[in-house]
Amino acid sequence: MVSIKYYLSQNSIVGVCILYYVLMALVVPGFFGANNTWNLVYNFIPLLILAIGQTFVILTAGIDLSITSIVAVASVVGGYLMSADSGLFSSPLITVLVGITGMVLAGAIIGLINGIAVTRLRMPAFMVTLTSLMFFSGLAIWLTQSKSIYNLPTLLVDAPYKTLLGLPYPVYLAGLVYLVSYLILNKTLVGEWIYAVGTNVKTSWLSGVNITSTIVFVYIISGVCASLGAMIYTARLETGSPVMGQNVLLDVIGAVIIGGTSLFGGKGKLQWTAAGALLMTMLDNSLNLLGMSFFLIMIVKGAIILLTALFNQYQPKSLVHA
Amino acid sequence: MLSLDNIRKSFGPVEILKGISFTVRKGQTLGLVGENGAGKSTLMNILGGVYEPNEGQIQFNGNPYRPARVSDSIQQGIAFIHQELNLFPNLTIMENLFLNEFPRKQGLFKYFIDQKKILEQSQMLLKQVGLSVSPFTRVSDLTNGPQQLVEIAKALKGQPRLIIFDEPTTALSQAETDQLLQLIRKLKQRQVSIIFISHNLDEVKAISDTIAVIRDGSLIKVKPAAQYAKSDIIRDMVGRDLEQFFPERNCVIGKLPKLQVNDLNVDGKNQLSFEIKEREVVGVYGLVGAGRSEMARGLFGLSRVYQGSVKWNGVVYDKFKPRQWIKQGVVYLTEDRREEGILSFKSVLENVQLASLHQFVKAGFGWLDHKGILSGVKEKVKATRVKYQTLESQPVSELSGGNQQKVLLSRWLMTNPGLLMLDEPTKGIDIGAREEIYHLINRVVEQDSCVLLISSEIEELLGMCDRILVMNQGRITATFPKTDFNRSEILKYALNATKE
Amino acid sequence: MPLYKQILYILWILILFGSCAQKRERPVIGISFETLQTEYWVASVEAVKAECERMGYDFIVAVANGDANRQFEQINNFISLGVSGIVIAPKDSHTVIPIIKAANRAGIPIAVYNRVPAKNTGEYVTVVADNLEISRNTVTYMCELAKASGKKHKALVVLGDLGDINAVNRREGFNQAVKAYPETIEVVAEVPSEWNQEKALSGVTNALQANPDISFIFTSSDFLFPAIVSAMKSADKYYPIGHPKHVVFGGFDGDAMAYRLLKEGYLDADGVQDVFYECEASVQAVIERLAGKSVETTIVDPGFVIHQDNFDEMSSKMWGASF
Repeated sequence: MVSIKYYLSQNSIVGVCILYYVLMALVVPGFFGANNTWNLVYNFIPLLILAIGQTFVILTAGIDLSITSIVAVASVVGGYLMSADSGLFSSPLITVLVGITGMVLAGAIIGLINGIAVTRLRMPAFMVTLTSLMFFSGLAIWLTQSKSIYNLPTLLVDAPYKTLLGLPYPVYLAGLVYLVSYLILNKTLVGEWIYAVGTNVKTSWLSGVNITSTIVFVYIISGVCASLGAMIYTARLETGSPVMGQNVLLDVIGAVIIGGTSLFGGKGKLQWTAAGALLMTMLDNSLNLLGMSFFLIMIVKGAIILLTALFNQYQPKSLVHA
Repeated sequence: MLSLDNIRKSFGPVEILKGISFTVRKGQTLGLVGENGAGKSTLMNILGGVYEPNEGQIQFNGNPYRPARVSDSIQQGIAFIHQELNLFPNLTIMENLFLNEFPRKQGLFKYFIDQKKILEQSQMLLKQVGLSVSPFTRVSDLTNGPQQLVEIAKALKGQPRLIIFDEPTTALSQAETDQLLQLIRKLKQRQVSIIFISHNLDEVKAISDTIAVIRDGSLIKVKPAAQYAKSDIIRDMVGRDLEQFFPERNCVIGKLPKLQVNDLNVDGKNQLSFEIKEREVVGVYGLVGAGRSEMARGLFGLSRVYQGSVKWNGVVYDKFKPRQWIKQGVVYLTEDRREEGILSFKSVLENVQLASLHQFVKAGFGWLDHKGILSGVKEKVKATRVKYQTLESQPVSELSGGNQQKVLLSRWLMTNPGLLMLDEPTKGIDIGAREEIYHLINRVVEQDSCVLLISSEIEELLGMCDRILVMNQGRITATFPKTDFNRSEILKYALNATKE
Repeated sequence: MPLYKQILYILWILILFGSCAQKRERPVIGISFETLQTEYWVASVEAVKAECERMGYDFIVAVANGDANRQFEQINNFISLGVSGIVIAPKDSHTVIPIIKAANRAGIPIAVYNRVPAKNTGEYVTVVADNLEISRNTVTYMCELAKASGKKHKALVVLGDLGDINAVNRREGFNQAVKAYPETIEVVAEVPSEWNQEKALSGVTNALQANPDISFIFTSSDFLFPAIVSAMKSADKYYPIGHPKHVVFGGFDGDAMAYRLLKEGYLDADGVQDVFYECEASVQAVIERLAGKSVETTIVDPGFVIHQDNFDEMSSKMWGASF
């Protein structure tokens, strides 16, 4: 039987999560309990979905800085398609279905553009996605003239609070995203290719890996995940907003990095990202409950990301025997 | 000068060094040889202060020597020159030389660096190693040989009394190697002691006064180099006689060409044409820069092809891409194992499966057949005799060079190739692994594949090939069938492109 | 140790720790502010905290830094912490609706400070300054000054973010006031600032260049004063009251710079939101709801106009005076 000790040595972030939970349960009043646990789950889910998409990209040694702009564009597109103010469709079900399809499509298209730019222009992912971050953030604001979109269908707005078998809908969405991502990364050709490309592009090219389609694929996944995150944000704020998710980038990349996924690519697991996202959520929640100011929270989070990054870098390497 | 007495070292239950004793006198050059895994690196790590011995004494310069860290050994006058260079490519030679300690000015300006002094010392050091470039040259602008010399200059700055060279010539061309050996002889005249570690026995024999052979953690023999025959060294290294270093093949070469290369132009100037028949091993000989790798790389689609076509299995191709070639059964084993061969921190499994994953996509949802992959990988690493601890979690970077090469061969064998293009397949590999690779090539050929073998070692080509192409300055200057093999003739055409 | 036993141990420790987390003794009020980027908000949050303290409540503060989504999550944190009541200064009038709903679901009274939520079915108390009335009174006072000068004045008004109902009302108040003085005031420039210093600066600079004879300036918020003053200086229009080149100058909010400008005699009038009153009312509304009393849905802060004539008397009620 696999011992917990071995598991934790391989997945140290999970240990950190447990430790942090215990510590906060001890120190922070109101942290431990069913109410706050549900609250953690609600706050955790959209971050998890965004971080999963980012994990795909970072595994290929890329980075997607444009996710916040994808969230904004998807929110605006979905808002426009679904709002009673535009009144495009009469049936609420069709409205929501069209809206969701539109959001996912918007995310996929921006991801496709990112992917093609990274592979064809041979520019660093950092540059490409920074450019598209600016471009699409601007586009979302320009399209809406910086006005938010309201009057979304009740079907969508109530969805975050509806439950099935005792679990709220968003839990199923996150579960589905996690499951599909897990299957892609571990059971398919493209999953193996993602790790290979991130480890060594030259080797992968020599070994017949289709680099272009692998990289385009991860950016599309990231785009789609961002649009699904946007769906939850839009539903629970009952607003399509061009500035939706503007501040979430640090949390998303932070979650992936403190999970232990390497920025240099090729190394990382979904469960690490999930634990990283959970830690970020708990940080926010607990510091909030302590009444810490927003700015102090930012400082603490930044420090923790730095510390875990250092920790991951200095983990003992196995001895090389001569 | 340096004497080791009964050095033992274990990692857990595994005993790596089983009591090693030898001495190096002042001004003496000791050649240290042994297969990978024999314990050479551990021994050097002990001298360098990376590991501590479990047992045994070291004396250096008459005093007990127990380094706790690398800087201790440097302070005491022992310098290391590794195969991997410890230089900052983006800095100049001068900056690299003085990075650990910049000489300061005197008096009022003591916080300022004394540029003049640095420049003078740099020029002196470069002169000592025979490198005639400006100290302001960026290291990245130098080729491997001069970089190695910079590394030595850096070591000389500390006035070492003992220099340990660990595989210094692996990345060097012939001319650069000669220059290095010349330098070592000069150091010797200045009464510097030297330990020289290399797989290349010719080099070791040429440079050493004494040769020590290590096998399985024990010292097998120490003997003056002049009296130690190469075949004896090999026998002591692997522990048995190598009557036939190059094994026989039991197969008949096919009649019709399997691969036909027509007017392939990879350098914008010359056109190359040749063919390979079924069950044939064709060697390519030439000096570094003769265009051997470029030919194979162009053909495989790794570098630009200006024009020309290739007929493979009866079909003509004029566009080249690795992915398509792999599907057609044409593969290329790279010369640069570290940069574009292995996935360094991935497991043996992940490394071996990489090129053949597409064969294991199941119908339907497109899941991978992991069971099939695992059994395929197991079969191949067994066939190639890769030595590893675990298949799925040990990073391949922990394996020796020879085992890494076998991993890469397993990767290609898993694609069931019809043509293997092998670019320096035995470079930097110990003798045992080398022999295994030769056997492997034979087995592949016996199963109806053909091989294009690129090598700088003429013995290897003479021993393994059915035909040898000689290249010079981007052109094929001669072709030798097995019946006409002649060492000096081949060399002549490699050096000089006059005839034909 | 088998896996399940190890898990049991960890769970046991968790429960042990969880049960020792200390409880707060006094009831807690959650205070959520969209931003603390201007003095107005800082003064407000301090006033709310002071009022909680005075009434014997603990409080916990969260700032969303302009992110509606973060504010939503912070309110959920409050709810799960089990706060007794919530005072919120929301990001905008729509994203506050799901927040009100969440508070309602948890049965926690909520007071919405400074912004009126868009129409919804939730239960809440909103405390808001009468932006229209205050700005109309302020501008009317300025118009009287202008009329007394006997000259005809060209006017410039700096608008806020017109997605914000407060900005809309302040513009409306301005418009109503100047309409009553058609022979004195002609509005030649409306500068949209979107609550942004840089936009205000470039907008006012351009307007003053296009209309060098502007002699009447009103800004929808005091926090834009630095930008406006700088633009006026470069257009040679910044002179104290009494100087022939003085421009009739007014603002809205009552912040520290307004206080200083009034004191130094550069500013003619300022519409003041009575922050102390509003904050007290917000906390009181929550406490009364807790006590089961019914409270009006909207509490209006009538505010006041401060100007050179009543400065000594009113400045103590001006929140900016305490900075």
